[in-house]
Amino acid sequence: MSAVTATISEDKMGARTKPATPDEGARLGFRLTLPAQILVLFISAFPLLMQLYISVTDWSPLSGIGWWNAWEMWNSFANYTDLAADARFWSALQRTAIVMLVCVPAEFLLGLALATLFADDFPGKRIFYSILLMPMMVVPAVAGYMFFMLFQSGGPVNDILSRIVGTPVTIAWLSDPNLALIAVMIADIWQWTPLMFLILLAGLVGVPEDQMKAATLLGANAWQRFITIVLPKMKTIIIIALAIRVIENFKIFDTLYIMTGGGPGVATETISVYIYKVTTQDLIWGYVAAIALAILIVLSIVAVYAMKRMTKAREVPA
Amino acid sequence: MKRSVPFEIFRYAAILAAMAVTLVPILWMVSMAFKPIGEWSATGADLTWWPKQPTLSNFRFVFGESDNDLIVALDHTALKPILSSLLSAVFGTAIAMSAGTAAAYGLSRFGSGQNLPLALIQLRLFPPMAVMIPVMIMWAFLNLNDTWLGLALIYGIVTLPFAFWLMKTFFDDMPREIEEAALVEGCSRLRVFTRITLPMMRAPLASAALFVFILNWSDYLIALLLTTREWVTIPVYMASLSSSMTGQLYGAKAALGLIAAVPPVIIGIAIQRHLVRGLTFGALKQ
Repeated sequence: MSAVTATISEDKMGARTKPATPDEGARLGFRLTLPAQILVLFISAFPLLMQLYISVTDWSPLSGIGWWNAWEMWNSFANYTDLAADARFWSALQRTAIVMLVCVPAEFLLGLALATLFADDFPGKRIFYSILLMPMMVVPAVAGYMFFMLFQSGGPVNDILSRIVGTPVTIAWLSDPNLALIAVMIADIWQWTPLMFLILLAGLVGVPEDQMKAATLLGANAWQRFITIVLPKMKTIIIIALAIRVIENFKIFDTLYIMTGGGPGVATETISVYIYKVTTQDLIWGYVAAIALAILIVLSIVAVYAMKRMTKAREVPA
Repeated sequence: MKRSVPFEIFRYAAILAAMAVTLVPILWMVSMAFKPIGEWSATGADLTWWPKQPTLSNFRFVFGESDNDLIVALDHTALKPILSSLLSAVFGTAIAMSAGTAAAYGLSRFGSGQNLPLALIQLRLFPPMAVMIPVMIMWAFLNLNDTWLGLALIYGIVTLPFAFWLMKTFFDDMPREIEEAALVEGCSRLRVFTRITLPMMRAPLASAALFVFILNWSDYLIALLLTTREWVTIPVYMASLSSSMTGQLYGAKAALGLIAAVPPVIIGIAIQRHLVRGLTFGALKQ
């Protein structure tokens, strides 16, 4: 591999770095990347093999044998066939999809609306901007606790509703199976709309002013300018923003788990929560390894596609 | 561009509405943190938005001093969880930043490790929950379970992608002329990196480190899995904060939540210019 990297760097550096020998640079470059390479290998190659191995056994940390002896509990592909028939797994996956399909578009639209309001200068812009970004910097577990308090039946949300309606409202948000998922989604939207706002605003200020002026002179109204100039210019940024939120939203755990613990029953159990419960409560790690690997394989396919888009986006000057 | 008066009115109205939604949860936690135990009420009838008798007793309780007989003191104080959060986040940041900065320079200047960027993004794509079983087994084998060092190591790996990408965009943007001048003077490449490039990059390095620190400080899931008692971090400790006599210790939890929330919010506002680059893996330059 070092031979390959050496050629690449020689080509790249070319005439620019006459004084030092090209070899010295290539060697240093390789050494500099080494710690990161080792860390990545440490957390990917060996653990993946271990996971693959355990996933074809019934091994559990309670079984009394080391994981390397897990072959004694060999069960071939039973874990994978069990997974296909595991209703709780599929409903957790479905719930994860619902959360994603509600939260990501909501965050996108709200973020875009806010970004549009902040596209030009106005008094107070900086301070409003800083305040509106605050939620994304709050530790997610703490945000979970905030919303846990807000949605108590005697909490502020019901208090606000009571004042609006005029009669006392006592909705048990977090213990009603239907409402708990809504409460969780509201918390996610609260926390991550600012990220969409931040990314989309960065894209929006990059739209060339002169094109907008030209369009205005030609008689285009705000909506037409938005559709014909702003949206096409922001295409890559929008794809990146959506991709980031889809990926992160799929992993949803901290906020949700603190708010509801996946309950009531399994009403807010998403994929991460489900795996967490099987890992820490049922302790059947062979099965967990199988679930995890199945997810990793599916995600890898999505990832390869997404990364192709990302690298392409990087090459196009934004 | 000139905007009309109705638009300005609409703009401020919309922003004020967004601010209200943004601030209510935060203000509620602040108010809870200063409420005496009698005002925690979860029953609704006597909900108070602001503490009628503001008190610091929640904060005192968090640090092991209880002046309220109703609160049965737990056998732990939050001091060690705070220390655990700090140690693991700081050392995790050190690991991610040193490996990430070196690799970013290597790739940015010499094109070494071409496969690294994608491997690092991939690392970020997977739900941590789906890769934790092998980590838990390995950490048990290495005796790293329930230690701040074990947390620091995994934090360093998990946030490495952010450190790498952020530093790489900074190095890509840095003009090479100064480095080249030093090379002509006869400096070795390593010396150029340590004596010229790194000192010049102090401000970007600080931003990237603070950014990575926020990410490490924010973790809940990994600490939940890898720590059990000795070195639990603030969020894990906070979640366990309840006693049989009082049930949920709302005020104490809010006080601890406030302590956990303040550093990242301040840091985040200070480095907001770099947030976009960091969070989009440099895919977006601002």
